[in-house]
Amino acid sequence: MTPCPRPILLPLLLAIGACTERITAPGACPDFCPRDSIRLEDVILDSIIVRDSAYAGYLQGYQGEALAVADLPGVDSRAIFLMNRFTEVMPDSGDTTRGPGIVDSSWVRVHIARRDTNTANLRLKLYRLPITIDSTTTFDSVAAEFGAPPLDSLNVDSLLARPDVVDSLTVATWGDTIRTDGAGHVLQFSPADSTLILYFRLDTLQAPFSVADSGKLAFGVRVAADSLASIALGANERLDGATMRRFYHYTKMIDSTTDSTVSTSLLRGATFDNFVFDPPTPALDAGAVDSTLVVGGVPAVRSLVRVRIPAFLRDTTDVVRATLLLVPAGPVPGAAGDSFTVVVRPVVTDIGPKSPLSGSAGRATVHIGSADTVRIEVTDVIRAWARDTTAATAFVLGQIPEAASYTQIRFYSSRATARRPTVHVTYVRRFPFGGGTP
Amino acid sequence: MNRAVGATVLAVVLLTASPPHRLTAQDSQYGIQGLGTPGRGESVRARSTGGAFAPFDAFSPLLEAPLADVRRLAAGVTLGTSWRTVDVAGTEASLRASRFPALVIAGPITRRIVIAGGFGTYLDKSFGVLTHDTIDIRGQPVGVTDEITSDGAVADLRFAAAARVHSRLAVGVALHGLTGSTRLAAVRTFDDSLYRTSTAREEIAYGGLGGSASALLDVTRDLRLAGWVRSDTKLTADVRGRTASTTDLPVAFGGGVRWRAGTEAVVAGAVAWRRWRGAGPDSHDTFSWSLGGEVGSVESPLRLGVRGGQLPFGPGGRAPTEFGLAAGLGKQFSGGRGRLDFGLERLERKGGGLSERVWTFVLGLTVRP
Repeated sequence: MTPCPRPILLPLLLAIGACTERITAPGACPDFCPRDSIRLEDVILDSIIVRDSAYAGYLQGYQGEALAVADLPGVDSRAIFLMNRFTEVMPDSGDTTRGPGIVDSSWVRVHIARRDTNTANLRLKLYRLPITIDSTTTFDSVAAEFGAPPLDSLNVDSLLARPDVVDSLTVATWGDTIRTDGAGHVLQFSPADSTLILYFRLDTLQAPFSVADSGKLAFGVRVAADSLASIALGANERLDGATMRRFYHYTKMIDSTTDSTVSTSLLRGATFDNFVFDPPTPALDAGAVDSTLVVGGVPAVRSLVRVRIPAFLRDTTDVVRATLLLVPAGPVPGAAGDSFTVVVRPVVTDIGPKSPLSGSAGRATVHIGSADTVRIEVTDVIRAWARDTTAATAFVLGQIPEAASYTQIRFYSSRATARRPTVHVTYVRRFPFGGGTP
Repeated sequence: MNRAVGATVLAVVLLTASPPHRLTAQDSQYGIQGLGTPGRGESVRARSTGGAFAPFDAFSPLLEAPLADVRRLAAGVTLGTSWRTVDVAGTEASLRASRFPALVIAGPITRRIVIAGGFGTYLDKSFGVLTHDTIDIRGQPVGVTDEITSDGAVADLRFAAAARVHSRLAVGVALHGLTGSTRLAAVRTFDDSLYRTSTAREEIAYGGLGGSASALLDVTRDLRLAGWVRSDTKLTADVRGRTASTTDLPVAFGGGVRWRAGTEAVVAGAVAWRRWRGAGPDSHDTFSWSLGGEVGSVESPLRLGVRGGQLPFGPGGRAPTEFGLAAGLGKQFSGGRGRLDFGLERLERKGGGLSERVWTFVLGLTVRP
């Protein structure tokens, strides 16, 4: 007879059941809860920002990730770029035989990285510029070239209104559907997002091949619109700068008596791109440094802000939220409807304006034309500083993307007693363990 | 029999294989605002009789005098698991915990004197409370969830000596060292992700001393009386080496009577008073009683018991009450050198608008090598 298993199973099952523990129950307060509760406090610390100052010259416009192009009341900004050299002797890919090439036409490609969708009748105008443009080129030094008739212009709204060209040959050639107008301009949506890629088609008069210039060409772009004429073009720093494809042909000798004509193309990128604007960014004079914290513009300006963490935050509390409050000295000039980001980046070690920076600890969007207080959540960094007494308690205010726009914001500094930067801190008091619940 | 022993050993291993803090778990919501929930100080045999046999049981760390009857080295261990349902204002919560409430090792050092050591649970201090609320922060209502947990206990380390000073009288004394710790955590989470979770953790160490004395008097061959008194000093709570609080501990006394009604039947009753009133706000003096019996042979008895009384901590002017029924079985093996005891207890506690229903399974092993 098989022995009954129950004497074995009972304690076994009970023991297995005991291996899990559940001791937390919904609280029936106040009678059946601990006498002490978690207490929250909220305070605006108006004197913890100290020794703050602005510093200029971090990035130049040609180092920016975008090129601001605008034609607005109060600001006129234009993109300029220099295309790479184009060799006189055209290589025949895969063949050692070479021959003189004849340029037939060119495409100039630009990428609109940002635009206001409320802009009406947006037009881009392409200008020919001298190939001597470089980092010293100013708005005035190319004003004459931009004053001349444009090489070409296209209407973005018109292109957007056109139907997609969806035939298989077009898709095979362009890699996607396109929209085109009667002048041969092409619009494509970026495969990575919904931004716009535009192609100007230029003939040999508009984009001639000059041996003396090694085939280099320089262009400029202006923008026009019925309203809100402001865009950002992609730049080399984001691997998104302007490019130029030149279509050419040459004669290839098949043997000593027979030849054939080969048609092909070569792509060239920009070796330099920048944007010039008027009026220029106001100088960062002593008065501005003393009274304000400046962020943005070109050359890029950053502000170094030092924080004195109060002892009570270190000893008795747990910060659950900290918000940096910055009061602008005035509305930010620029295109209505536009915006940019102000970012807080803690320093790794405080050695002044060249302090190495860690990653972003908080950011806020600043809207053009607004003078509202800018609020940046800095909870993580304040929590870290409250716990680590060895940390350098300073951060840098910067703009994102930096040196990509003429826009600049100025906040009141700690010297402005009434409107100085403050930090709004919400914290939990240290729980009185061992007191009310011995 | 061998199979039952194996199963029991396996159960003991499983029950004790968990981290120690899980083995000193909570017992009641009534202890949250007070010092905790007092431990039973009862072996499985005593627990199965509602606690009535505790004053007469050498392996219940309540009295020392019964140790005088231990004639050879012996050890007893008690394990328990509780399933508890808490009902407050119609809302129920089911809780579960395991514990290691008692260990007694005893042996004679002379013909008359027996010494013993071991520990029991003095105060269970494990609990967890979860609350939800909406509070106004920065002018906005924000939902918050607070969880306050305590995990630990105060153990009663006992060194006892007992002697039979007369054929009818045994006496005993003990020194009690109270020690233990709790790990506490207070966590607040916010519904709004802009707010970070706040977590505070602390460990509190507890300490105290006590002394007890007891006596057993055999009025007749079948009738035995027991009496005991115990006084503990103060319980100090230290946080990071600093004394955070000091709390008076109670003076307690009690007694019992046991009647052997034949060769295979024993009944007993016990009462106890404890003066908890000085242990902080909403603390109450308690009186508890128990009645139980054991029938059957010594090798495999059946036990039944009933208990009632009060809990020392609870809101309002009246102490919460508890009432319980218990039953159990015992099995002797290896010629009396080993003993397994099983018990099941059902408790109901009421007071202050809250009620608790508890099922507790206890398992005991006694070895006399």
